[in-house]
Amino acid sequence: MTALRVLAKDLRLHARDARFIATLSLFSLSLVLILSVAFGPFFRDPAREASATLWAALFFAGVLGLTRALDLESESGGGEALRLTGADPFAIYAGKTIANFLLMAVLFVLLLPCTSIFFDVGNLAVLPTVAGVAALALIGYAAWGTLFAALARGLKARELLLSILLFPTLIPLWIGAVKLTRSLWADGTIEPVRDWVKIMVVIDVLGLALAAWLYEVIQEAEE
Amino acid sequence: MTLGARGIEKRFSSQVVLRGASIELHPGEILLLRGPNGSGKTTFARILATTLAADAGTVTLDGEPVRRRLGAARRAIGFVSHRPLLYLGLTPLENLEFFGRLAGVTDARLRAERLLERFGLTPFARTAMERFSRGMLQRVALIRALLPAPKVLILDEPYAGLDDEGSSTLNALLEEARGGGTASLVISHDRDRIAPLTPREYLLKHGVIEPSP
Repeated sequence: MTALRVLAKDLRLHARDARFIATLSLFSLSLVLILSVAFGPFFRDPAREASATLWAALFFAGVLGLTRALDLESESGGGEALRLTGADPFAIYAGKTIANFLLMAVLFVLLLPCTSIFFDVGNLAVLPTVAGVAALALIGYAAWGTLFAALARGLKARELLLSILLFPTLIPLWIGAVKLTRSLWADGTIEPVRDWVKIMVVIDVLGLALAAWLYEVIQEAEE
Repeated sequence: MTLGARGIEKRFSSQVVLRGASIELHPGEILLLRGPNGSGKTTFARILATTLAADAGTVTLDGEPVRRRLGAARRAIGFVSHRPLLYLGLTPLENLEFFGRLAGVTDARLRAERLLERFGLTPFARTAMERFSRGMLQRVALIRALLPAPKVLILDEPYAGLDDEGSSTLNALLEEARGGGTASLVISHDRDRIAPLTPREYLLKHGVIEPSP
């Protein structure tokens, strides 16, 4: 129940932060539009260009999203009060991770059709697999991002630390997502790059396992 | 529950803030801790409330170190800090219900509504707190700490921002809590406002705590 309550609270805070949601959506949509114009109108390899554009937009939007989530916890001490309730730290982590995942999933749902239209790629047959690839990438993003956000909380240079930690961790995950999406849009299958699925699963599991082990320690080290 | 702190030491970089501060707070007791600005009162309060770790010394609840059973200790302690410790994007009722339920209060909403009424905040119960005044935020922060009916209350400058009516309500609630066996440590410069509760007074100076003259 704790995880669900934390999830509901985080989603409510995000939903009320209309300016931020609008900024995030406009930023990522603009990125997709600008890159589609830059690569077009005659695309050399539309599947490659479209998948790179989609995941680049999600990557930068994700960093913005995590930074904002960090601010919401820090600005009036809500995160500290959360700790003082004595609730299970991993349940708190789980709620926040699911909220971060859902925020990015909404953004993915918004960007996917735009990318498909602007680059003229994709079809309904591969949509479930593309969604599966996105789930793998976004679970890893949320798992690691929530963990690193807790680590950076309370520090003056928290945005910088978050980026320094997040970039090298997420890059393999994002390369996998780009390669798998490209393969799906170009050939309709992930067979040639299937190994990336295993790599992404390992990164996801590692993030969740590390959080289960370390989140409480990190939460207490905020001091 | 008896809250004990023995030999608490804390330094930030080269600045030594606490040099063996000790105190004991018994059930049903109200204790006022005073001290000059920068004497380490807030640091001491945060260590008692478990949001900050001491460099040396032990904080205990009924003789058991709080760090050994952190979750249970936190459920027993209500803490009001300089910061509101609330989510400003939520309404007072949403904040109080959220924190109350996480702290294991089953009738959190009902208790929150009652306490909001006592502090005169019922008309604002469903208003987002982003534009609340300092005093209104302080009232909600006090309710958050009081809602789970903790066995120990640590209140750092609880009268800050409160008008006379708010101060009277707080004193009435502290008196009720004392009747229920709650031990309260109040850190305040405002002796006049807490005087009706006739607290035991202590002074924190040069990093140690001693009875106030």
